[in-house]
Amino acid sequence: MVPMEPTISIPVRPPLVRPETGRVVAGVAAGVAVHLGLPVRAVRILFVLTALGGGAGLLLYIWLWALVPSGEAAQAMPATAPPGPPAAAASARTVVPTTPAGQPGRVGQVATDVPGAGLPGPTARPVSRRVASTRIGDLVVGGLLLAGGLAVLGSQIGWQVPLGAALPLIVVVGGAALVYSQLDEVQDTRWALSGASGRSTALRVAAGVVLVLAGVLLAVIGSTDVAYAGRVLAAVAAMLGGVLLVLTPWGIRFWRDLGAEREARAREAVRADIAAHLHDSVLQTLALIQRNSDDSGQVIRLARTQERELRSWLYGGGSTRADGSRPATLERQVRAAAEDVEDLHGVPVDVVVVGDRSLDERGEALVAALREAMVNAVRHAGAPVMVYVEALPDGVEAFVRDRGPGFDLAAVPGDRHGVRESIIGRMDRYGGSADVRAVPGEGTEVRLRLPDPVPEATEDRDHPEVPDQAPPREQTGVGAGAPAAATPEEAT
Amino acid sequence: MTIRLLLVDDHAMVRSGVRTELATDPQIEVVGEAADVETAIAQVHALRPDVVLLDVHLPGGTVRPGGKEVLQRSADLLVSTPEQPPVRFLALSVSDAAEDVIAVIRSGARGYVTKTISGPDLAAAVRRVADGDAVFSPRLAGFVLDAFGTGAGEVATVDDELDRLSAREREVMRLIARGYAYKEVARELFISVKTVETHVSAVLRKLQLSNRNELTRWAADRRLL
Repeated sequence: MVPMEPTISIPVRPPLVRPETGRVVAGVAAGVAVHLGLPVRAVRILFVLTALGGGAGLLLYIWLWALVPSGEAAQAMPATAPPGPPAAAASARTVVPTTPAGQPGRVGQVATDVPGAGLPGPTARPVSRRVASTRIGDLVVGGLLLAGGLAVLGSQIGWQVPLGAALPLIVVVGGAALVYSQLDEVQDTRWALSGASGRSTALRVAAGVVLVLAGVLLAVIGSTDVAYAGRVLAAVAAMLGGVLLVLTPWGIRFWRDLGAEREARAREAVRADIAAHLHDSVLQTLALIQRNSDDSGQVIRLARTQERELRSWLYGGGSTRADGSRPATLERQVRAAAEDVEDLHGVPVDVVVVGDRSLDERGEALVAALREAMVNAVRHAGAPVMVYVEALPDGVEAFVRDRGPGFDLAAVPGDRHGVRESIIGRMDRYGGSADVRAVPGEGTEVRLRLPDPVPEATEDRDHPEVPDQAPPREQTGVGAGAPAAATPEEAT
Repeated sequence: MTIRLLLVDDHAMVRSGVRTELATDPQIEVVGEAADVETAIAQVHALRPDVVLLDVHLPGGTVRPGGKEVLQRSADLLVSTPEQPPVRFLALSVSDAAEDVIAVIRSGARGYVTKTISGPDLAAAVRRVADGDAVFSPRLAGFVLDAFGTGAGEVATVDDELDRLSAREREVMRLIARGYAYKEVARELFISVKTVETHVSAVLRKLQLSNRNELTRWAADRRLL
């Protein structure tokens, strides 16, 4: 049982695997050396000596060969790898260290040497789960080999090894090995026995425990008669039950503490995330506001920008695509334009968008015209500026309203491009329409309408075949009271 | 006759600011303040104000948003009795989240305005709510149009009158979303202000009574668009 002792007591050691490189025969000695932190040469000498002295070393070697899966020693160590250049860090996880191949004597330092020495070698390949490769078949073979080895050892030193005594031992060892092989797996999943791998892990552990218990029972009962065996079984069961009864509260308590601790950790992570965000954004802005407190325009701009940023963080978090980019939809572009105008002029612009759709060239023209209208509004009227955009089944309508003094379009000099060219002209070119309604003393409203192109209809500005749609320059401007049964054209 | 108002907001600064702004209006008298869900419910029952200016997000209580719990546990006061007029709630919030806004409206609030509203506008909104009318801010009108309008795909298949806006109601909502005041809406549509208020109240009723789950689901989905 000597070989089992070091292996059972070391959950934090590098896992016992046979490295793919640096093998002499099967990598058992190298693996054991890494596992135990011993010089590989010493391990090898030990194996050879014990093999010569009665064959036990040889059998142990074969047993480990059968039991220990091959894999990468380095893979278990990424958490301890110091942060290095990305290539080195990546290679620490996926690349076979080249050191042990050249210098077998230094295998014990593989794990710490990797980040520095981790040049991508020809054997680079994705990490595979090493424990999963352990099969029950391997265990059985290994157990039998071990039993044979012990029998040989026993007969060498003069024991008469009764087969009846060896059998329980084999069973116990097999069970223990089975449980041990799952130890790292269980640690990785943090006792979260969910999913297929978790279930199979639990199954293997249970099988191992049963094997060990059966082996112990076999050893205890031995060759005595069946009635006695039954009584022993009952006694053992009673004792186990008693122990279980005593230990269960502790177990449950431990389990709960573990869950509570993990929950607290998760909460703490969320809190830290929020704190970091608030620090980066809100506190910085507040500091800036205090510094610029005599410049009211700057203060408004800062406050508004921060408000917008915080809002999008709080309420708009889900709109990022899988690849991290944001689709250019009508709503997003309109909001972005409004934010730009706010930032440039320090006047808040309230945006209400109903419906959404994807954006083509014509839609971009609409957003550009809308932006121009917003600039006019904030420049000539000031707050409050209201922007309303609605994606209708047959087009898009947009309104910019301010409460400024209003102005007369006809009185605007012909060389001023703002309204006439950037808004009306642009909308005309894309088959839309724009009009400006200014009521002195009540403010101005710019209305933009961009109907979807109707097949076989030229780009005219009126669509008489759409009954609900108001002509572009009509008096009420309520436009399309779109039929409720219309097909929605939401882009997203 | 003055309107007795209860101020519910967890930020003392907001409360004092609102109090100052409403102090200029002789018709409105602030009779109390509350900073959390439990105090608010107790105050509402003790004072029986005409209007409660209710913050959507409040500390305390068990239901989120807190304003919703205040409304739910004051539901007995929302309807008028022979002896007592009803207590009316106006939601006041910085929240942009559609589900929060829709939640308080569906729980019985008569309107929703954002905290950026100007003092005179807020006073007008309080008076309107006290008269039993609904108050829609442009943002809320936008939410309503989105929920009932072109954005809601299920509208075509639902026949219930409650689940649809009439053409006129849609027009009113669109004008409000565009930033029109009620009297401007009235002038635009050649109808009286009272008719506008009737339409708006009808929309509010539909928003509150419409039993389609899609409405709340829509509100939740809005965040993911």
